[in-house]
Amino acid sequence: MGPTLTGDTLPIDSTEYDTEVPRDRLKPFSGMPEKRDVRAFIPGTIVEVLVREGEKVSPGRVLLLLDAMKMHNEVCSEITGRVRQVLVARGDRVEKNQLLVGLEY
Amino acid sequence: MSIASRLNDFLGRVSRLVLGGGREALENQKRKGKLTVRERLATLLDDGSFLETDLFVEHSARDFGMDSKKLAGDGVVTGFGTIDERQVAVFAQDFSVAGGSLGRAHAFKITKIMDSAADKKIPLIGINDSGGARIQEGVDSLCGYGEIFYRNTQLSGVVPQISVILGPCAGGAVYSPALTDFVFVVDRISNMFITGPQVIRTVLGEEISPEDLGGARTQASITGNAHFFAASEPEAFDQLRKLLSFLPSSSCEAPPLTQSRPPRQPLDDEVIPEDRRRAYDVKTVIMGLVDDSDFLEVQALYARNIVVGFARMEGRPVGVIANQPRYLAGVLDVDASDKASRFIRFCDAFSIPLLTLVDTPGYLPGVNQEHSGVIRHGAKVLYAYSEATVPKLTVIMRKAYGGAYIAMCSRHLGANFVVAWPTAEIAVMGPEGAANIIFRKEIEESPDPDGTRLEKIREYEEKFANPYVAAAKGYIDSIREPSRTREALAMVLRGARNSERGILVRRHGNFPV
Repeated sequence: MGPTLTGDTLPIDSTEYDTEVPRDRLKPFSGMPEKRDVRAFIPGTIVEVLVREGEKVSPGRVLLLLDAMKMHNEVCSEITGRVRQVLVARGDRVEKNQLLVGLEY
Repeated sequence: MSIASRLNDFLGRVSRLVLGGGREALENQKRKGKLTVRERLATLLDDGSFLETDLFVEHSARDFGMDSKKLAGDGVVTGFGTIDERQVAVFAQDFSVAGGSLGRAHAFKITKIMDSAADKKIPLIGINDSGGARIQEGVDSLCGYGEIFYRNTQLSGVVPQISVILGPCAGGAVYSPALTDFVFVVDRISNMFITGPQVIRTVLGEEISPEDLGGARTQASITGNAHFFAASEPEAFDQLRKLLSFLPSSSCEAPPLTQSRPPRQPLDDEVIPEDRRRAYDVKTVIMGLVDDSDFLEVQALYARNIVVGFARMEGRPVGVIANQPRYLAGVLDVDASDKASRFIRFCDAFSIPLLTLVDTPGYLPGVNQEHSGVIRHGAKVLYAYSEATVPKLTVIMRKAYGGAYIAMCSRHLGANFVVAWPTAEIAVMGPEGAANIIFRKEIEESPDPDGTRLEKIREYEEKFANPYVAAAKGYIDSIREPSRTREALAMVLRGARNSERGILVRRHGNFPV
């Protein structure tokens, strides 16, 4: 756990400075993105799902096509593993950051 | 035709053209709380100084019924004028004519006046108020934008380029202002974005108003795209005229000299709080050092942990860069690094000496900063200071720790004169942090760890948290009280042979970072 930011002091090298700290500028870090969870990077429509549950995948393998920004965007695996779960089907509208495919190592 | 009827014909043409889109369109402009294009030029320029060019230019578009459409001046007014009796080149888009849209002839008028600014070596001022590309002219309007961007880049570092956003400026159009040195915005009138709220809603489902997305306040405080924020158009023009008073007309000239004036509020020797953790407003220090306590701040609402702007020492313009302990303790971070390095490079390109005031605990820690590339952005400050060949003067007021000490125009980066105040602490890090590392074992093994820690902090403070260690090694040139600092800076500046730089035509452009 890092030091608590109160909004009026800023700790640097063990010294607490009295100063104005904008709360929105110092959002706590919530962890690196989980590569096993494949999410929609943009809202759109699923054109085609190209993998089945249980199938082996490696980095770069196209998992599905997402229609957005007038393009069929390839959504790829970033890991070597296996498809645990496919949560969408052809024709589904998806929101930004919606979970599409769950992978496992 | 007789001469009299020719003259009458001429005057008739002129009076039609200067009405732009016509009385009704001009009334519309006024209803939006905006000045008309000709009111703007009259407010900006010295009385009666405007010499218009290309009033009679017409477009030659044929598609989509354009062949039967007359557009007065093709939606832009161009020419020369003076500001405080110094010549400038201007173009001002006229929203009343086809929404100020940019077609081939419109762009041709702009590039012509840009070429004249280059020839005459005078500043270029662009007033932007346009719906964007003239769709009916298709790829011709893209050609127009491209030719403007090309000239913005060629002119960069040669003449000051200033953009005033007085209406919409969206899509590709934003990149001309972005390539210029200073962008002015006016509350509730300016609007800039690459893709507007509608597209963002359609593509990403994100809801935001045009004002929140790219209004004046957003551009001045969140994005840093704008350098000056004004409440009204006349205020923006006042700021612009003041800015020009500090700048040479081109890189071939020295900045304009005025009469020396003492600060209105000279510095008190106790201007800095004793406790290094206490904040204060560094602008008090700036005003106490410069002529007439007159300071024109640039990007005042953006990255407020660093303050940059123009002032004068004995009548000679200087660019001031100062850490602001009042905001985020005056740390260096991604935004502050970009803000400072761009300003330093502008000053260097136009022979304006740099005055750096140091009081910073270091760089802002955090995952967000590291992942935003604080290494790359921080490096810009080192590069800009090291590259600069104008006179570089540095005042170390209080904290100058670690990498931030080096970055803030230390002698190691080529500062010509570094003066420290008796309150200066030039050290590898603050006493608390240093004691925790150096005396970790002793503190851990002590029967009274807290007592030992305090004792060791005090020990380190006494030994290292001062200007004398650095002074003993010649890393700083002088130690003096705040009240005697101005005279030393002025003396160094008097001796600087800045004028010799004048023979160089262009040192470099002012790359937008």
